[in-house]
Formats: sequence, structure tokens, C-alpha cells
Amino acid sequence: MILLSLIWLLQDFAQLLLMGICMIPDVFLLTILFIALLPEKSKEEQSKLVWIAFFGGLLWDLRWTNLPGLTSAISGGVIGLACFIWQKLPAIGRTPFAFMAVSAFCELVYALGHYFFWTIPSQSALRQFIVQQLIAVPVIIIFAWLFGRASERNG
Amino acid sequence: MRILCRESRPWLNSFISVLAGAAILFLSAGTDGVKHGAVELVNGILSYPEKPVLYLRNIIKLSGNWVLERDNLNERVEKLELKNLALEEALQRAGVKSPASKGGYLRAVVTLRYPQEWWQELRIDKGAQEGVREGAAVASEGFLVGRVTRVSAHSSWVELITSSSFLIAAAVDQTRDLGVAAGDGRGHLRLLYIPEERNVRRGMSVSTSLMSDVIPPGLAIGTIIGIDEEKEGYKEMRLSAGAHLTQLYNVDVFMPSSGGAQR
Repeated sequence: MILLSLIWLLQDFAQLLLMGICMIPDVFLLTILFIALLPEKSKEEQSKLVWIAFFGGLLWDLRWTNLPGLTSAISGGVIGLACFIWQKLPAIGRTPFAFMAVSAFCELVYALGHYFFWTIPSQSALRQFIVQQLIAVPVIIIFAWLFGRASERNG
Repeated sequence: MRILCRESRPWLNSFISVLAGAAILFLSAGTDGVKHGAVELVNGILSYPEKPVLYLRNIIKLSGNWVLERDNLNERVEKLELKNLALEEALQRAGVKSPASKGGYLRAVVTLRYPQEWWQELRIDKGAQEGVREGAAVASEGFLVGRVTRVSAHSSWVELITSSSFLIAAAVDQTRDLGVAAGDGRGHLRLLYIPEERNVRRGMSVSTSLMSDVIPPGLAIGTIIGIDEEKEGYKEMRLSAGAHLTQLYNVDVFMPSSGGAQR
């Protein structure tokens, strides 16, 4: 919980530093996703993470989007959807690559949700969206690598 | 929530969270006061840990611009000093005493600008505690960018000149014709109510005219870039704002002298 609070704050600071330049990817959401999809996580813990994502998103809305409920709904929905997809995958298929694909899908859904409901569609908004996705690529790769290591440790 | 977490599956919690988010979104649309209060509360709490980051951003931005701006500023200061000297000499020749200072400016950092209200308003990190007053003019690089509309203890909201509700008395510097500068909410500025017979042309500069103690007269707004069709005996003109409205990181809030009464 402390780690997630710190990551939320770090994301807030990063957004503050890059305000007016680009939107940063939702590292907080990706961290929750990483924790939720770890092999030893129970359904109860995953459910708890859905609500942590929801409240983190609500705080983000109150700080940045001025549309309370938008990011929280997207975050809660995306984590639940990712957990559902992950459970449907056979255990052998839960590889770092599969994790990378799920993370990329979640990040894209999150960014698209913001693009259509929050920003005013324009060339500059589209440019910011593309930059956000490009920044998300190394972040997702790092999380996939961490996921691979955690999976190896769990055998 | 504990019961939900224990008894239900993640997808069900997720579904409920989506519904809850949509409900908050729907309810907040109808309760502006509550939403505004919650936004202010969260922003107020976060303003403390964010302070060092804001200063860091400011330092990065300022150091980046420093070299570029230095020459430009030196040139402007030199010109203004010469102009000031000439005016003082003219006043002395005419036997008029130099007027006392009418106030100064307080430097503030832009802390928030919502994309959906990009041309409407922004928030700065100075408030009532620092002496900011409602209605005060806000400038950037010597050009008007807006005025303060809401003041909290340590932050204020600034309505931009491009806001659709922004109207301000303005004068064409070269002809002294008076009109009203107005925004359209889409990043454009217009000068209204200039009589059609007046010889106002493209390239002429526009500045504020005397209207209150919190907005100084003669503060540059921008330049006339086009004259549209005449309507009911008046010309409508397109203005180009003098300030870089898409690159507002720091602004200067006009602080009237304490002797001046607020109107």
C-alpha cells in the first residue's frame, strides 16, 4: 500500500514536471496490474487491487482531469478485465510476453478513454497520445522483465 | 468493500467499480460546488509535496529560457530606460511632479491548466496570503493574459483573455480609440465597438484602458491582425495576443499599491 502510494505520488510529480509537454503513462495502474497478475495472488487480493486502482484513479481525477469518476472507472474496469483474461489463459501461457500484451492493452484502453472523454480531439492531443504510448513501451518492457523474474522465483 | 473483496470475484468488483465511477461522473456533473470543493481539497493537500517539484520545473524552464530571453530583456530595458528618461525630462519641462508608483507585480507559477478549459482558465500558486486580490490583472512578459477570478489562501484561478466570458476595456495605442477586447473560448481575441469611421489599421497595438485599481492602464494586450465586416456602425477586429498563451509557465500578478481602494 505504501509502495503504491509512493508510485502514485511519483506519477503525479512526473506529470507536474511534464505538464504542457506530454501526458505520462499510468505507471500506478501498470504497477497494480503487475501485482494483480503475479502467480501467488488470490482473487481476494485481486479484488482489493481493483478498489485501490479505483481510488487512485479518483484522486487522479480530482488532481488532473476535473472529471471525477472517469479515471477511476477506467482503472477499476481495466484491472478487473485483465484479471479475467489472465485467469482464462492456461498456466503455461502466462509468460512475460503475454503479460506484456495484457499491459499494453490496458495502457491503450486507459489512454484511449482519456483521449476520447477528457481531451479535446485535435492534432496536438493526438501527438500527446502517441508520445504517451511511446513512453509506455519501455515501462511495460521493464514490468514484463520484472514479471518474468518473479515467475521464475515462483517456479 | 471488505465483504465484496472476500466474497466476490475480481471481475464483479471491477464491474461495480465501473458503475461507481460512472455514477460519480454523472453526479459530479450536477453538483459543481461539491466537485469544486473536492478538487480544491485534493489540490490543497497535494500542493505541499508538489512544491519542490514545481520549483524544480520552474528552474529547468527558467534556465532553458534564460539565455534566449536575456538579450531580448536587456534590449527592452534599455529602450524603456531611454523612454522613461525622455518622459521625466518632458514632465520636468512642463513643471509636473513625477507620479508615485501605482503598484508592482508578483511572480507566480502556473500549477494547473485543464485541457478542456485550455483557453478559459488556469491556476497559480499565489493566493490571498501573498496579497493576490480578486480581479487583479495577470501578465506574462509584459502582456495581459487574464485576471484573477477566485482566490484561495495559497492559490488563485485566473480567467484567460481568450475565455468566452472575458471582456475588458481596451484602447488602440496609436489612435486612442476605446473598445472592448473579448475572447471566444477557442484561443482567439477580438476588439469590439470601434466606430466604422475611425482610421484603425492592421499592426496597431492595443492595451488596457483605465478601468479599476486592480487592472493598470496601458498594459499591452496585443496587435490588430485583421479587420472584419462592419456591423451596425462598428468595426470588429481580430487581435493577436502579445503573450505566448500556449507557453504559460510563470505569470505576473498585478499588486496594486495598498493606498488604492478596490473598486
